[in-house]
Amino acid sequence: MSGSTHSIVIPTKDKMLNLGEFSLKRPGNQITAVILVVGFILTVIRFTQGIGSITNLDDNAPWGMWIGFDLLCGVSLAAGGYFTTVACYIFGMKHFHSAVRPAITTAFLGYAFVVFALLYDLGHPLRLPYMFFFPGTTSVLFEVGLCVATYLTVLFVEFSVAPMEWLAQKFPFLLKWRKYVIKVTILLTIFGVCLSTLHQSSLGALYLIAPSKLHPLWYSPFIPMFFFVSSMVAGSSMVIFEGMFAHKGVHHYMDATHLREADDVAFSFAKAASFILFGYFMLKFIDMIVQANYYYLFSGYGMWWCIEMLFFVLMPALIYAKGARERNITLCRIGSINAVAGIILNRFNVSMIAFNYQLPASERYFPSIWEICISIFVVTLIVTVYRFIVYHMPVLYEHPNFRDEH
Amino acid sequence: MRNGKTLLRWMVMMAVVTVVSSGVILAPKATIAGTLEATDSGAPSAMVLFPVTEKANPANAAMRPAVFNHLIHEKKIEDCQACHHTGDQVACSSCHTVEGKEEGKFITLERAMHAENIAKRDKDTPSSCVSCHVEQLKKTECAGCHSIIKPARGQEYCGVCHDVATTMTPQQLRQGIQGKLSSSDNEALAEATVAKRTPVPYINPNSIPYNVTIDALADQYEPNTFTHAKHLDSLMKAIKDDKLAAAFHNNPATLCATCHHRSPLSATPPKCGSCHTTANYDAANPDRPTLKAAYHLQCMGCHDSMKVSRPRNTDCTTCHKERAK
Amino acid sequence: MNRRKFLTILGSAGVVSALGTAQVAKASGGTTTYPYYENSYGVLHDTTRCIGCRRCEKACQQVNNLPMPAKPFNDLEVTATKRRTTADAWTVVNRYMIKNPEGGKDKPVFRKLQCYHCNDPACASACFAKCFKKEPSGVVSYDGSQCVGCRYCMVACPFYVPGFQYEEAWDPLVLKCTFCSPRLQKGQLPGCVEACPMGALTFGKRSDLIKIARKRMDKEPAKYVDYLYGEYDAGGTAWMTLSGVPHAELGMDMNLGNRPMGELTAGALGAVPMIIAFWPVLFGGVYGITKCKERLVKKEQEKAIAAAQAQTKQALEAAVENIEKTQGVEAAIQVRQALKTAQQPPSDGSCCCSSKHGEGV
Repeated sequence: MSGSTHSIVIPTKDKMLNLGEFSLKRPGNQITAVILVVGFILTVIRFTQGIGSITNLDDNAPWGMWIGFDLLCGVSLAAGGYFTTVACYIFGMKHFHSAVRPAITTAFLGYAFVVFALLYDLGHPLRLPYMFFFPGTTSVLFEVGLCVATYLTVLFVEFSVAPMEWLAQKFPFLLKWRKYVIKVTILLTIFGVCLSTLHQSSLGALYLIAPSKLHPLWYSPFIPMFFFVSSMVAGSSMVIFEGMFAHKGVHHYMDATHLREADDVAFSFAKAASFILFGYFMLKFIDMIVQANYYYLFSGYGMWWCIEMLFFVLMPALIYAKGARERNITLCRIGSINAVAGIILNRFNVSMIAFNYQLPASERYFPSIWEICISIFVVTLIVTVYRFIVYHMPVLYEHPNFRDEH
Repeated sequence: MRNGKTLLRWMVMMAVVTVVSSGVILAPKATIAGTLEATDSGAPSAMVLFPVTEKANPANAAMRPAVFNHLIHEKKIEDCQACHHTGDQVACSSCHTVEGKEEGKFITLERAMHAENIAKRDKDTPSSCVSCHVEQLKKTECAGCHSIIKPARGQEYCGVCHDVATTMTPQQLRQGIQGKLSSSDNEALAEATVAKRTPVPYINPNSIPYNVTIDALADQYEPNTFTHAKHLDSLMKAIKDDKLAAAFHNNPATLCATCHHRSPLSATPPKCGSCHTTANYDAANPDRPTLKAAYHLQCMGCHDSMKVSRPRNTDCTTCHKERAK
Repeated sequence: MNRRKFLTILGSAGVVSALGTAQVAKASGGTTTYPYYENSYGVLHDTTRCIGCRRCEKACQQVNNLPMPAKPFNDLEVTATKRRTTADAWTVVNRYMIKNPEGGKDKPVFRKLQCYHCNDPACASACFAKCFKKEPSGVVSYDGSQCVGCRYCMVACPFYVPGFQYEEAWDPLVLKCTFCSPRLQKGQLPGCVEACPMGALTFGKRSDLIKIARKRMDKEPAKYVDYLYGEYDAGGTAWMTLSGVPHAELGMDMNLGNRPMGELTAGALGAVPMIIAFWPVLFGGVYGITKCKERLVKKEQEKAIAAAQAQTKQALEAAVENIEKTQGVEAAIQVRQALKTAQQPPSDGSCCCSSKHGEGV
């Protein structure tokens, strides 16, 4: 660890930017460029021609892909931030330390782009702050908005250490600020977990008001709890899932500590996710029994529910359990893919597939190709910004100037 | 073969003459006073139905007994079981008394005569006088008015049946209540009652406005010419031979009362617009239809119930032509 | 001024004065929730009177300046297709063919759909910018000037009523029946009620309408299903529906329950202060326990190290003394020198991860 023998490019005072990676002629960069151009064109169309111009949304399905994927999945998959910080700082699992900064970075980006994507879905995007001027306190959406806004701020402060370490060489006053932020880490962590608990569960609570529209197998008075519990799974799985891609793409920006701890982090998180998934399975199963919904199991939706529960909750739990016990990193990664797919499927079910289940097929919603493109565009933006951060800021490595202070 | 046809005609004529003449000869024997036709079943042609009670009734207080014209009911009904639901052709009051008794499943005389909405049995659902009469109102020729008007259960309504002749003495009433009035006395009383029952003639369609021009609302459409007398005439024709209607329509203006409702029966009723205003909202009578709605509800309600297929409810211009703009 | 006009004004005077004096009823127990306005207005739709003429739709379009549809209003076959309210059509009349139980032709029954103006509206409860408001007059009003366009109201509405202007880029709004609130203020009836030629729409105080509906059902039990839709459904609505056939056959949701939809989220929102109050205690406590454990472990470690060090020192001392005895003083001095250099710590220290992890990122 003392060696610094790897080839990390650390920006210096004279050369703050490290954009070379983006100009390399690699398929990844080319695809990114195409997606960004298409996304930009669609953005222009969306904001000049109205939401209806590129979406299949209608009055029966006012919320579609952009809420179902960008908002619901985006927020739950960004749960890695609170999950990792709580594990490391509150529960004192120090060997997760190198996973904290990447997790906070992705969480911050995730939330930032949730808000960004939301602007596409809102009829009056510029009026988003109106919720603070005319607070509709009886609305679950108000709680979500308030918590996401606050948590985004918290994440920004938590994340700000990385850019400050990067920029400190040019702007030394940032050193002082960095110290303040580091001093309140525990406070921020606890604040963050409160806010996360609230809005992760509230995303589920959004649907409490529509019992007649959401299929009974997914509607439950406990849906906020389901969303919260599954967000923990999403958080831990995303750390493993992202780790997998990071090792592929930006391996050369990881320092020895990160590389040494990475597998341990994966195994621990896999174990945790496995436990939580089993718990989640039991929660859903008991809720189905208690609400006497077993009659629905023999319908088409019942089959679909069973598929979700067996192949996207129970199966990842088993894969994780096996992977963690045998310390098999491949198995853990497969588990994470399965779990992440399960979270996305669950959010899709609640927001689109099992929503409006009583309407005839002709009145049901299916996203347009352009809506999906915008969602891909947003994901690509996240990846691109993530790459920019990794190339410039000490996220996957420790900055030599701050090495012993961490 | 020609002779055969003539022979057949003669035989039919002979048979008719025999039946008619035997009826004429036999009829007086079957009735006491001889004014009423005899029944086929041999039951009295008419009878007084006393509120028979087993308890001592020292005050002799009772509803004025009803008189039942067995003859015309018997002619209307194919099966005696429709009323004599047990199969035994005995008096109603033998099971259904004022208090009710076990043989009658404690169904009182009052219920047996007046119950409506009788729960359906698997078979042979019994019917009361009133339930059968109400059922008759669903006939097409009656349904027009009676889907709108439900006869008020008032003195006039009850008096149609409870109208035993005033010649009845208190002595007879007491005996009747105790079930001890001799059948000849009973039948004489009934006979006297039936004799004074005479149908009230309806208002003559020729005496009412022939056409009525409805123009109070003419705005988008031309005024409508309502064939007033023709409507009354066709209603009267439809129920010409209906004895039930004749008995209960006991005022010359009864038929007018469906449309000219709520005001006292009269040959010169008030105009619709007297009550039904064109005002948007009448806070005191929020349920009162506006004039336009009142017309449409009356016309269409009656036409729908009488299954008058034309005009369709949404064919506005059949009744009132579109006004040129 | 002709007679009709006079009567119109006379009738409307009642509405205006009542609108002015409408007061908030006490939050009494029983079937109503906050904010129930005792003198609020409503409309009763009697489907047994409705003939499906679409006059109400036309009037709605006219009085609200909504765009006229492609197919004209006298095309009554339009009612056969299942339509819902949209941003451009605030009321629609749909036809339902009801099977005749005694055989024969199916009977058409028409049912009008518009905003039901709930007593405690789901849209108002769901709106996070307070655009919707239940007015004392009974109107559920919408103020588009502060609408963010999130469309949660449309998700929340159990009647599928609000419509959104998806094609509008700059000022898209959620639109629905306004109960002709501006007309009510002027003492006029809602456009559809005024246009109805059949009296199928009865305007009045909600409390009166309930009595009227009961009276009609009492008077003609064979004509009506003994249920007033909207009296209690979804907490009660200002617009209510009477029917001669089961309401479910007219596409009306009979499973909404008798509590306002907004109450369903009250539990979740009520948990917020609890979580804010207790989570810091919980996680602060866990943090404290973690720290305490770390301290104990460290102490134990230090003790064990000290003991081990003392033991080693003793053993070394004994060994050196042994050397001194067997090999002489000089050898012992050399050994002591060597030991001294060996015990000195290396120049660049390894990362000691134990000290500050708790505070640093």
